[in-house]
Amino acid sequence: MTTTAWSWRPAAPLLPLLPALALLPLLLVLPGLVHGGGWDLVAQFAAAAMTPSLNPLLLRTAIAGLGITVGIALLGWALSLALGLVGGVLSSRIVWRTCLGVAWPAGAIRRFLAVPRSIHELLWGLLLLQLLGLKPAVAMLAIAIPYAALVARVVSDLLDALPTAPLQALRSSGAPAGAALLTALGPALLPGAFSYGGYRLECALRSATLLGVFGLGGLGTELRLSLQSLQFHELWTGLWLLLAVMLSLEALLRALRHRWGMPSRFKLTTAGVGRSGRELLLALLGLLPVLVLVAVALEISPAQLLAWQPLPPLQANWPAVLALPWAALAATTLGLTLLAACLAVGVAPLLLLLVAPWPWGRLLLRAVWAMGRLWPPPLTALLLLFVLKPGVITAALALAFHNLGVLGRLLLEACEDTADQPGSGGAEVALSCSGCGPRLALLYGRFSGLARSYLAYGAYRADVILRETVVVGLVGAAGLGSLLLEALSSFAVDELIALIAVYALLTLLGEDLSDRVRQRLLSG
Amino acid sequence: MHSLFRLPVARRRKHTSVVLAGLALLLLTAVLPRAEAQQKLLRISAIPDQKPETLNRLYPLLANELSRSLGVQVKYVPVTDYTAAVSAFRRGDLDLVWFGALTGVQARLQKPGAKVIAQRDIDVSFQSFFIANTASGIKPLRNQKGLTALKGKRFTFGSESSTSGRLMPQFYLAEAGVRLGHFAGGAPGFSNSHDATIALVQSGAYQAGVVNEEVWQSRLSSGKTDPKKVIVIWRTPGYANYHWLAQPNLDQRFGKGFTARIESTFVKMRASNPRQAQILDLFGAKRFIPAPQRQYDAIEKVGREIGKIR
Repeated sequence: MTTTAWSWRPAAPLLPLLPALALLPLLLVLPGLVHGGGWDLVAQFAAAAMTPSLNPLLLRTAIAGLGITVGIALLGWALSLALGLVGGVLSSRIVWRTCLGVAWPAGAIRRFLAVPRSIHELLWGLLLLQLLGLKPAVAMLAIAIPYAALVARVVSDLLDALPTAPLQALRSSGAPAGAALLTALGPALLPGAFSYGGYRLECALRSATLLGVFGLGGLGTELRLSLQSLQFHELWTGLWLLLAVMLSLEALLRALRHRWGMPSRFKLTTAGVGRSGRELLLALLGLLPVLVLVAVALEISPAQLLAWQPLPPLQANWPAVLALPWAALAATTLGLTLLAACLAVGVAPLLLLLVAPWPWGRLLLRAVWAMGRLWPPPLTALLLLFVLKPGVITAALALAFHNLGVLGRLLLEACEDTADQPGSGGAEVALSCSGCGPRLALLYGRFSGLARSYLAYGAYRADVILRETVVVGLVGAAGLGSLLLEALSSFAVDELIALIAVYALLTLLGEDLSDRVRQRLLSG
Repeated sequence: MHSLFRLPVARRRKHTSVVLAGLALLLLTAVLPRAEAQQKLLRISAIPDQKPETLNRLYPLLANELSRSLGVQVKYVPVTDYTAAVSAFRRGDLDLVWFGALTGVQARLQKPGAKVIAQRDIDVSFQSFFIANTASGIKPLRNQKGLTALKGKRFTFGSESSTSGRLMPQFYLAEAGVRLGHFAGGAPGFSNSHDATIALVQSGAYQAGVVNEEVWQSRLSSGKTDPKKVIVIWRTPGYANYHWLAQPNLDQRFGKGFTARIESTFVKMRASNPRQAQILDLFGAKRFIPAPQRQYDAIEKVGREIGKIR
């Protein structure tokens, strides 16, 4: 590609801000959406944060529920990592090319793994419930299956992005394929894989909560009960507990990542494993008995996973299923996804820039983003409905707020991590020393380095948002998600099958698109 | 560095296999006696449709009372999702469930032979109330035909498979010629609970909605609802609603006549007994009465018409 062809492109530091352009049309339509009739309810919700219910019975149930949620998250996460590593190796081009000389099986497996990935953990939960019954094992598997496919995708991306020189050197000196792969790629893969793996644990905690909100046990179930009856004081009891666990987990993982010298999550390539490899393995070994204890406490046993029951009989009326307005439903869902993704990806750097001059600004953002991650999207949707009219835009805002919480924190962490590393934060310091304002220094000094990897991560996140459209049916007219909840509650197996197929197809297309965008970003 | 890295891996494999073997044993011993104990454990559950926050209080009380009267261990299993409860009942994971009329029929169709046990006095003729925000300009309706005034308005149901918050209201809407596509935005909302419906209609997010009479009366008398902002515009005719549903095989598992004993336990609850008074009060009932299964035939028919029963 020639330089002239690219001359229209904005400067690198501006790239992450581009999606925020979605704000402009949004600001135009937003005034028409406000009904503002429920500010008193929003105020009640906010005030209740200061006075959560301390009823001993409620506290006891909330804490027990939190234990279940954390246990499910931990088990689901561990299982997904183990399966995901295997899947990742199997769907890596370099592995196949080294072992068999052809790369196409990698692509095929990768495509195949898109199917479990395209189904939201909530759906997996409700499907597995049919097969396995009402057990914590269902929630664990519901997390493990889609997560394993996600981890597999990231691991294979990491593998294929590693420098191949060491591998070629080993191969040409006669090492067998397996040994050469393990030696050349194994250690180099570890930091990236573990950094991502740690992040998946944070995600697993959010998923386990959401599964509870939809009836699969744990703290989410308590949250849902309080939310349904608008008992905000009781709701906050659960939310504060969850926040404490969420923030401690994030802090712990961050500390471990620093200790073991791992890259921030946006980096897809990295140098060697460092001297902490042994410590890391010890930690993993230490995790095993913990997992066993958790499994015993939750009464999850391998025997349960094998006790399948047949699904209810399939009464299919395919012509009726085909007659559903698929194009319109898919268009609504895609529009919802795109708007939410643009807002989440674009607004995070924009807000960071806005608050750059004030020291308390980042603290405030941190707090807001923590709430975004903490509140399950159905809660955010309900709060938004207290002041906005229902519709696609309100649904998109609810999803955007949740994902903004996730992306914003990752971006802030990446900014601060690069500042900690000697030599890499120089640009921002140099800029501010030479008289640049804090905003410009952040924009040119920091964002320019992070721009591409941040956007590449944003592309991943868009896939997640597409699946999450399932959970905002509350606001009405939310496309495939609403239809899905309706089909589930009618036990319309034929519609469910069709819907899952459509979701899988959209995810495949979306991943293909985001793959292209990512490759362009990371190579460009 | 490579050799350093690989050695612990090799060692770890041995450790893991030992740990795993120990684990398997541990799990086996943990699972076996439990499977046996399950034979004599009655698992009850309910789909919360109102006052869900009191469930924590309600069900331990009920479990104790049932346990005392039936002489078996009773465990309350919390389930918050209609679909999940029906599925769990089909699977046989729940023995006795407090279902709404529609979910009860769904569960019975998926588990032939399941027995309707008892209902509350108020469940024989239950009503839904259509409500509207006063700023929407919708006035109380003279008759069912008046429901056409809801065309083009933002409208919300409760849960997708709620009998009083969705099924029967949709049936009466359809009779009046209002289809779901007629609402503003081309579809109704699903607020997921009666309390949320009231709050959302009162705030104006939805101009109208529909709730069950019990929740409406209770919120009105407790002052949670502002009668200046949200009013009742139409009351549906009565229909049969909530009931207890039991697995078909309870007599085999717990002994002959067990199902009948559950029914008589409910029907004999009286407000004169302080423990039972608490339970009746928490259920919002004066007493429980036997529930004839055929009263749900109408519900099943409506369910099929609307597509909630396939």
